[in-house]
This record gives sequence, C-alpha cells and structure tokens, in this order.
Amino acid sequence: MFRFILRRTGSAVVLLLVLSAIIFVLQAVSPGDPVKAYLGANASPEAIAAKREELGLNAPLYAQYLRFIANLLHGDLGQSFRTHRPVLTDLQSFLPATLELVLFSFVVAVLLGVLFAVSGSLRLKGGALFRGPLLLLAAAPPFLLALGGIVLFYAQLGVLPASGRGVDSSSPTGFVVLDSIITGQPDAIGLTFQHLLLPGVVLAIAPAIAIGRILRSSLDVTMSADYVRTAESKGLTPFAVLRRHVVRNSIGPGLSMAGLQLGFMFAGVVVVEQIFSWPGIGNYLAGSIPVSDFPAIAGVTLVLGTVYIVTNAVVDILQVAADPRLAA
Amino acid sequence: MTSRNIRKLVRTGLAVLAVVPMLALAACSANGASTTPNAAPSDGVLTIGLLGDIGQPPDPDVYYANNGLAIVLNTYEGLVQYKNDVDTVEIAPRLAESWTVSPDFTTYTFTLKSGVTFHDGTPFTSAAVKSSLQRRVDVDGGAAYMAAGVASVETPDDLTAVVTLSEPNSAFLDYLASPFGPKMVSPTGLAANAGSDNAQTYLQTHDLGTGPYELSAVEPGAKYTLTQYDDYWGTKSPFTTVELPIYSDVSSLQLAFDKGDVSAIVAALPSSSLDKYDGNPAFNSDMLPTLQSALVTVNPSKPFFAEKEARMAFMQSIDQKKLVDQVLGARSEPATTLYAKGMISDGSDKQNIEYDPSVMADYAKTLPEGTPMVVGYASGNTNAEQMANIVTANLQTTGIKATAQSYPTSQVFGWANDPTQGPDAFIDGNNGPDGGNPYMWGHVFWDKTGGINYFLCDDPSTDADLNQAVKTGDEALFAKAAQTYSATGCYLNLSYNKDWVVSQKWLDGVAESHNIGANELDFSLLSIAK
Repeated sequence: MFRFILRRTGSAVVLLLVLSAIIFVLQAVSPGDPVKAYLGANASPEAIAAKREELGLNAPLYAQYLRFIANLLHGDLGQSFRTHRPVLTDLQSFLPATLELVLFSFVVAVLLGVLFAVSGSLRLKGGALFRGPLLLLAAAPPFLLALGGIVLFYAQLGVLPASGRGVDSSSPTGFVVLDSIITGQPDAIGLTFQHLLLPGVVLAIAPAIAIGRILRSSLDVTMSADYVRTAESKGLTPFAVLRRHVVRNSIGPGLSMAGLQLGFMFAGVVVVEQIFSWPGIGNYLAGSIPVSDFPAIAGVTLVLGTVYIVTNAVVDILQVAADPRLAA
Repeated sequence: MTSRNIRKLVRTGLAVLAVVPMLALAACSANGASTTPNAAPSDGVLTIGLLGDIGQPPDPDVYYANNGLAIVLNTYEGLVQYKNDVDTVEIAPRLAESWTVSPDFTTYTFTLKSGVTFHDGTPFTSAAVKSSLQRRVDVDGGAAYMAAGVASVETPDDLTAVVTLSEPNSAFLDYLASPFGPKMVSPTGLAANAGSDNAQTYLQTHDLGTGPYELSAVEPGAKYTLTQYDDYWGTKSPFTTVELPIYSDVSSLQLAFDKGDVSAIVAALPSSSLDKYDGNPAFNSDMLPTLQSALVTVNPSKPFFAEKEARMAFMQSIDQKKLVDQVLGARSEPATTLYAKGMISDGSDKQNIEYDPSVMADYAKTLPEGTPMVVGYASGNTNAEQMANIVTANLQTTGIKATAQSYPTSQVFGWANDPTQGPDAFIDGNNGPDGGNPYMWGHVFWDKTGGINYFLCDDPSTDADLNQAVKTGDEALFAKAAQTYSATGCYLNLSYNKDWVVSQKWLDGVAESHNIGANELDFSLLSIAK
C-alpha cells in the first residue's frame, strides 16, 4: 500500500508540472495584455512598458517558467495582476468558500445517488416518485437549473436566499459553517445552510444521477449473483444480505464514479458560483480569464488540478482497501 | 416500436419536460417585474448592487477600472470635482473652496476648505495636498500621469496649496476633477501604514480619505461595506451604512433589485432590460449624462482598410441613427460631434461623416466576391455585439463576407502591441476618457501613445495639434485636431451614452448625486423620498 501511495504521489507531481507548463505556454501564445489588467484600461504605453519590465514579462519564456517553478517551490504563486494581492492570499480567501460548497454538494449528491440506486434496485414502493423528478432535473443544464431555482425559491416563494454565503466570508477559517459552529452561533449556522442549499443542490443533481446509475447497475449485478441467493436461502435478513454481501461487492464502481464526479464538481462550480454570486475560486477564475491574469489562472488551475489528482488517488486507495487485488 | 425506442422517447420527453418549466421560469423572471414599489429601509442601510467584483483594490492611486469607483469616490475626495446634475463639463469645488490658474497654465493656487478631517482624525491641510500628489507619482499606477507633471507644491499656509507644473497644462483641473484623479490621503495614516509599498497593502482593506463614508468591511468577491463618517464636513444622508454586495450574474442582480433587496443599480444593466424598468411605475429609471460613447474604429494595418477610401466607405455605410436607436435606445443619443457632447463649446468639432451606403456598395464591386471582413466587439458587451451583428449583416448585402467576432478585453488591449492581430474593425460599446478636457479625449483615442488607440491609427499633425492645444486651452486647435483625425477614416463617434441608474421608488436624489465624469453616485446626497 505504501509503495502504491508513493507511486501515485510521484505521478501527481509530474502531472502538475505538465499542467503548469501547459498553462504557461498558453499564456505566452495568447495575444492578451495582462499589464492592462494591472494598470487599468487607459494606462499609457510608457506606464505599461515600465510595469511589464517590473513584472518580469520581458524575460524569455523559459526564464519566466523557471522563476515561476522556483517561486512555487517556495510557496509563492505570484501576485494577481487584477487584485494586486498575492495569489496565495486570494486563494486562501476564496478556496474555503468553494470547498464548503463542493463538499456540501458532494454529500448531497452521494445521499441522493445512494437513494436513487437503492430505491431502484430494491424496487421500493414509490421510489419512482423520487427518481423521476431527479432525472427530470438532471436533464436541465446547471445554469438553467440555478436560474429556475432562484426564480422559484427566492423570487416567487421567498424561502431561500439567492446569493452570497449569508455571513462574513472573512471569518477565521473561511469555512463559515465551521466557524459558526465553533463560535456557537445557531442563527449563523442556519443562515449559512440556507445559503448553501440552493447552489449545493443545483451542483449535486447531475453527479447524483451519475453516481446513482452506476451504483444501481452494480447493485443489480451483485444482487443477482449466486452467493447473494445463497445468503438469502440461508435465511439472512435482507438488511444483513445487503450489508455483508452486496454493499462491499458493489461499492467499487460507485466509489470510482463518486471520485470522478467530485473532480467534475470542482470544474462545474464556476457556473454555479457565477449565478449564485458565491465568493469562491470559480468566480475568481471567471474574473481572471478575461483580463489574462496569468498568476491567478495558474494558481486556480494548480489547485483544481491538485484536488482532481488527490481525489482520484484517494478513490484508488479506497478501492484497493476494499479489494486488495487491485494493488497488484 | 421497440423497447429501446420507447426508452429513448421517454428520455427525450423527460429532457423536454425539464427544460420547458425552466424556460418558463426564466421568462417569468425576465418580464415579470412587479409594478408595486418596494418599501424603504428603516435601518439606515442603503444597498447598491455591484455587477462583478471591483477587481483592483480601492486605493485611489491604484484603482483604474469601473464599479469600484463607488467605494473610492465615497471614501476619498479630491480638490475639485465635476458639477453634479448638469450635462456639461463644469469644474466644481470639493476640498478646495476656490482656485486661481495662471494665464500660462503652469501655476494652480488652491484655497482649501477648513474644518475637514481625514477618517483617522488628521486635519486636512495643504501638507496633505503635497503628500497625496507625491504618492500618486510614487505608486505609479495607471493614472499616475495626472500628477507626473507637478514640479512642486508650495504650502504657504495650512489652507493654501500652490501647485506648479513643469510645463503648461490646461487640462490639469480636469485631471483633479476626474474620478480617477488624485484624491487626498491622510499623510499621518500613510506614514503609519507605509510598509514597503506606500501603504498599498493597507489600503486594500482600509481607507485614509476624507469622504462621507469609511470603508468598514471588505469581503473580496462577496461584499464591501461603508459606514458613515461621523465628522464629515458636508451633507449627511440618512443612510448610515452602505452595503455593496457583489452579484456575478446580471439576472440574479435584477431579481434582488425586483424584490427590494438591492436599492439601486448603477450603469450595470444591459439595454435589453430597458423594457422592464424604464417607465415601470414601481421603480425610478434615470438616464444621466456621461462622457462615454460608443465608437467605431478601423484597423489600417489590415489589408481591407489599408486605403482611406475603404475606411471612409465603411464609415459611411453605418446608419448611425438607426443603429443607436435600435440597440441603445433611451440610454443613448446619436453623436454629432467628434469629442464628447459639449466638450467644444461652439460645436466646431461636428462629425461630418454622412450615411450613404451606396459608397460602400460601389467600393465592394471593386473587390473580389466574398472578400472577408471581421468586425470585433468585446466579449460580454451585448450592446456592441448587437451593433456588430447589424453592421456585418448590412455589409453582407454588398457581397462582402463580413462576420462579427468577440474578443476578450485583454486581447483587445493587446492589439496595440501588434495591430495586425486585431480584426478589421472594432465596435466599442462604451468607452470614454478619464475627464472632460478635449485633450483627455483626443489623446487616448487618437494618439498612438494614448492607450485606447487600439489599432495605432495615427496622424502626426493631430498629435501635434493636441499637444499644442493642451498647453494653451485653445478650443479651435482642439477642433482642428479632431477634424484632421476624422479625415483619416479611422474613427466614428457613434453615440453619447448615458449612465442608466435604476433605483427603488423611495430613493431620492439620484440625479443630484451624479456628475458627468463620475459614472457613480455620491451616496451622501441620496435620501428617502417623503
């Protein structure tokens, strides 16, 4: 297992280096002028030339890249051309909001996915009433679902907020739910969950279906296996059969899909954060791209890449833990 | 029908069922604005919705963008400003009570207001004028040029500041009145928080101004909060707190406004929302004068427009009045002058390009069939996109293979490095100078060193006339420069744009709190209607 983890970590580092090189080349060949983002639209050519020199943008591409990597190794992601703050500071400010949203959403997606799979596989009465609307909602693109949710629950019914996190984002850890719990503010806890609900569910619907479908088909295959029938014929209760024989043997594909979906959720969060004005890295990225704020784009990409790689590595490890034959 | 086909049909049906209600809801949100006014706040909180984060930090010597001016202009003040609630360029007092200008435009003497204090308690004196102008140069941001010509600042007494320029500049008062112009910053606060960057880090989350509000909370990407400054020297509004929540999506912002969660939206809504709010009895809709315009520029570095004949034919093919009416509607009026409206008092900068599509039709006959032409617009600017689509559709009738294409803003500003990378022509939906002096307009749009002459279409005699006129303030020379540049065929002033401010019915004083240069509101002049 240790060698397996070591191997995955090594390949993750190589992947991130390749990712950073790709971003760097793309930035170099894109015709945009990031210095305009730093100084402002009407800045004179003289001021732009001076700032370009100061920011080291006149150096050869390989020199810029080596400096970027050297700074990266020292934990320095550079300064955002747009916000004028260190990218690391910006990420510390925006990342907790995204993590909180995605993790909440992931929990919702897994819960809905498991319900979808179990209700279908066990042919639970009334299960279709749950699966039908879920499938229906999953057919809509996330931006439309988000707008529809806002119109219905915020504008028409007035039961849920439509934007922001509800409380001061610059709380101690940046995780407002956690901070509300730590500081013992029940009102704030309620408020933060209210704000999480709509974007969280919108982000969770499509992954829930993906997880649910895979899990259901895996459950169906396992349920029809000989050893399950044998277990049933031994007189085990349906729950015992499910717990001892079905879940462990069916969970692999579901776990794999959940990991994949978690990675996708980090990518998909850009649209949801935009519509719900959620102050996370998706919004930060959306503001950085039009002005070619390369340090910010690179920072967010590296974070998202790391999350994706780490998530998949964790899923691989969990799968190996569930079935040690996969480590070979 | 096979079971597979049935499943496919059911899936398609489900997808349609999912999309239709969403579309209905979206349509409902687009056109279903209430006609019942929302209630005024009773907690003294004014909420101004921002579309997108402010980007750069709200440091007056750094900030050189758009919606963050709402913070800068309400926490800081300059010596002068443009007069509120008029559609002409007039300099009005702010922290300077009065001023005199030497006949050669090199010495500006300001008599300062007494009894003004900075938010950190430091009294405002002439020493602050000197240190603030120096900081502008030291920070060296995008608008540093406004103080770069200052040779010295003398302070004979606490309430007199004498600014001497290194060379004559009739635009200097406009530099000071510009929303991006030098603002007064507490010298004590700057010294205490200087760090290694002239207090730039400190001013990302604090302010050191004299304005009616203090920056009390910064939540990047989420919200900015201003709190009324108790010792403010001027008018105080009933709003003790101003919250500026950030909306990343215009539909969400409109819904929040419709529900009354947002008090006003300043210059952030697209023209497509005009039908919803303009004339709706539940809301105020103010069209306020600005120095902004929609512009058409062409790229002489591209083969299509290498010749002046082609450039002029293209400009003449644009039905300016129809285009502006059709796309911008009440937010704009067709421009008749080369500078912003009223910049040249006698109107001698009249734009002489007349609409005549036959010129382009004849010119197109001399070109090979299907000659391509790309008309660019900035991504996300729906007004410019619509105009580009209309212009290209008209060109296609002449046999030219014209297409409209969007470009991210960073790319647009990068064209000046190599104009051959740009499109053949570009439609700018809304752009303007930093201030109301003709030099500030002519220099940025026409001089290749100005910053917004995207395609470097330059005429040396225009530059020379502008540089001479700014030394003397000679309007006739400014007008001559404009006419010379117009003759290049590189430039068409399409429209005089207005700031469209929508606000709740209970909000009073919107027009009185706005001036032609600011593109933002002075929150201290807003009140609740009786």
